[in-house]
Amino acid sequence: MGEPGQGTETPAGWESRDGKRKKETPAGWENRDGEREPERGARTGMGKGNRSGMGESSRAGKRSGPGPSAGAGSRKERAGCGEPGRSLLFSIPVAMVVLRAGLCPGLSEDMIQLLSANGIRTVVDFVSSDLEDVAQKCSLSYKALVAVRRVLLAQFSAFPANGADLYEELKSSTAILPTGSPSLDQLLDSGLYTGEVTELMGAPGTGKTQLCLGIAASVSLGLKQHVLFLDSTGGFTASRLYQMLQAQTEDEEEQLEALQRVRVERVFNIYEVLRALQELRDRLSQQVVSSMGPLKVVVLDSVSAVIYPLLGGRQSEGLALMMQLSRELKTLAREFSLAVVVTNQVTRDSSTGPLKPALGRSWSFVPSTRVLLESKEATREKCSTQRAASLAKSPRQPTGIQVELDIGNGDVLDPSLVTPTQGL
Amino acid sequence: MQREVGTLPLAPVLRARLAAAGFQTAQELLDTGPCGLSKEIGISREEALEALQVVRQECHGHARTAEGSSSTRKCTALELLEEEQSQGFIITFCSALDNILGGGVQLTKITEICGAPGVGKTQLCMQLAVDVQIPECFGGVAGEAVFIDTEGSFMVDRVVDIAAACVQHCHLIAEAQQEEDHQKALETFSLENILSHIYYFRCRDYTELLAQVYLLPEFLSEHSKVRLVVIDGIAFPFRHDFEDLSLRTRLLNGLAQQLIIIANDHRAAVVLTNQMTTRIGQSQSTLVPALGESWGHAATIRLIFHWDNSQRLATLYKSPSQKESTIAYHITSHGFRDVQPPAVTPSTEGTELNPRKRPRTEEEKQQ
Repeated sequence: MGEPGQGTETPAGWESRDGKRKKETPAGWENRDGEREPERGARTGMGKGNRSGMGESSRAGKRSGPGPSAGAGSRKERAGCGEPGRSLLFSIPVAMVVLRAGLCPGLSEDMIQLLSANGIRTVVDFVSSDLEDVAQKCSLSYKALVAVRRVLLAQFSAFPANGADLYEELKSSTAILPTGSPSLDQLLDSGLYTGEVTELMGAPGTGKTQLCLGIAASVSLGLKQHVLFLDSTGGFTASRLYQMLQAQTEDEEEQLEALQRVRVERVFNIYEVLRALQELRDRLSQQVVSSMGPLKVVVLDSVSAVIYPLLGGRQSEGLALMMQLSRELKTLAREFSLAVVVTNQVTRDSSTGPLKPALGRSWSFVPSTRVLLESKEATREKCSTQRAASLAKSPRQPTGIQVELDIGNGDVLDPSLVTPTQGL
Repeated sequence: MQREVGTLPLAPVLRARLAAAGFQTAQELLDTGPCGLSKEIGISREEALEALQVVRQECHGHARTAEGSSSTRKCTALELLEEEQSQGFIITFCSALDNILGGGVQLTKITEICGAPGVGKTQLCMQLAVDVQIPECFGGVAGEAVFIDTEGSFMVDRVVDIAAACVQHCHLIAEAQQEEDHQKALETFSLENILSHIYYFRCRDYTELLAQVYLLPEFLSEHSKVRLVVIDGIAFPFRHDFEDLSLRTRLLNGLAQQLIIIANDHRAAVVLTNQMTTRIGQSQSTLVPALGESWGHAATIRLIFHWDNSQRLATLYKSPSQKESTIAYHITSHGFRDVQPPAVTPSTEGTELNPRKRPRTEEEKQQ
């Protein structure tokens, strides 16, 4: 507010928006994206032209893109990733948009000044206040205020979608990716679903990272799809992944190609995770995926390692960041049809209580499927590779079902193959 | 740069103010500029400049270019595999232990050693501090070591024993093989050199330990050859003086992430020792590593040392690349060794065998 140059910029912002609305309102969902761009431009009055241009192109790219075809193994084909409907499900929340000139027709600079003098600064303030009261206090026309409110509500509300469309959308965009472990596939109702967040949890050494590596191996080799592995604990071991690939195919060329399709990013705090996800979103929405190819799976191992340092003690900002992260993961999964896999720790209330997932109740709403991994106590001494996996939460399968897993697949059993200590 | 303001690494107060002022994306902040920003949210211009610097770094990626490490953060699995295969291990002088670890203590990973008092945790740490310096032509990594001691159990005379045995061993190899680079490497591989390349820090409480660990990256960029960071006694400073256990968890988890950053950015192995504690179960109680369940996730590799009558055993409990298994080891006056002099295997050229090994009964007293 009150920046130099804003006065001259505003009309331009107006025009572009008006033009846009006339054209695009019928499509409903789109104008929201479009709308937001000029609005940002108008606020700052700088570099607007080129940025809204960028918005256009990225949007166009998103829509026109045919979308990468799903892997051979997936049951359902997916269509373009920018279809209407998905954006409706997870629209970007309009938190606290400040009222400013050019936000909507009829909202003038004078009006805003009067409003803010009466403590109404944001859209939320405006919409939730009693207009009759406001009209009196600010000596503004009640009619004009109602009109502005109607426009604002229309502008910031979601567009309804119908169930049949959503179902079509689901059928065309969802893929089910095999995890490389038949029993885990069985537990997950035939594999990882795109558009969902799946959580693997377990005590140290129960094979969470092993399963993640297994998923990476199976998707990159079996489906020829790309995998993004966000490693926050340093647990990603390329040699182990290589072993798994070697166990699945003899062809060296294929093994190397599969390795190249797995992209690893080391992210050791929550900000780096968020930045990596943002970069991913930018890349996917602009379709600059040349270096990445069709991406299907994002693995975050582990989510608790980056969040735990922020929780506890007396500070509460950690929760806010955790929810940011969860929103980011969910929208990414949904908008770009990705299967997101996260790992989590387990805690217990007392030393004898049952295991429960870490990060508390608010995180428990984030993953739609949760799998609990346990090593069997009886065989612990023998150092077996057998693990029990049970379903703790699932939208499709009854919870509580349990399968046995062997995390030792692709093991090199012959110790002589282990890199020998040289020289000494 | 459509990154949301709420996800930027700024002070929480600042984030709250930005959100209240209606800023939503990083781009908006950058476009507003420092003057506008200081006016809009009522902070000083210096603060605004600082905040914008953070935002800019975040947006244009590679915020860590100053440390020259961003290149190692992002890569494909293939590049990582090549890196892993080229980087070598720190050997332990116990071939059985090396084998279950996949060749030795891995660089860029955190290895945690848990065990009861006197089972040989500190001995292995001191052994590693010496072994990390073995020249490359002998199969070592030719590095240096940082030793952070919280319990006061570092015994320099013991390190002298171990180092002397190690130097002796390398001399024997050089004599047997008569290679030029061996001779050359041995000129600088002496007892004094080994000792002067172990950087020792004594931390008396958890504040000192945390401070030391958070300052370590600076020290490591000055001493770029450091390939091993030992923290002997991670548990000791954290096992008392804590009324607020959630604060402890928070500090410990932060510490763990900092250690991973150190390991990754400086291509160093981080070795921690941890104590054991008793978990009381319904029917029987068991010995488990201290610091609780969630700390178990901190280390990438976890070794548990324990006794079986008079035999020392090491169990690999957690590792992303190796199977769980148990082996036996011994501690001699020369340091950490195999129980059996290994049968001369062609793959290792019998080199783990210490030719001057004394009788096994002669076991060193524990510190």
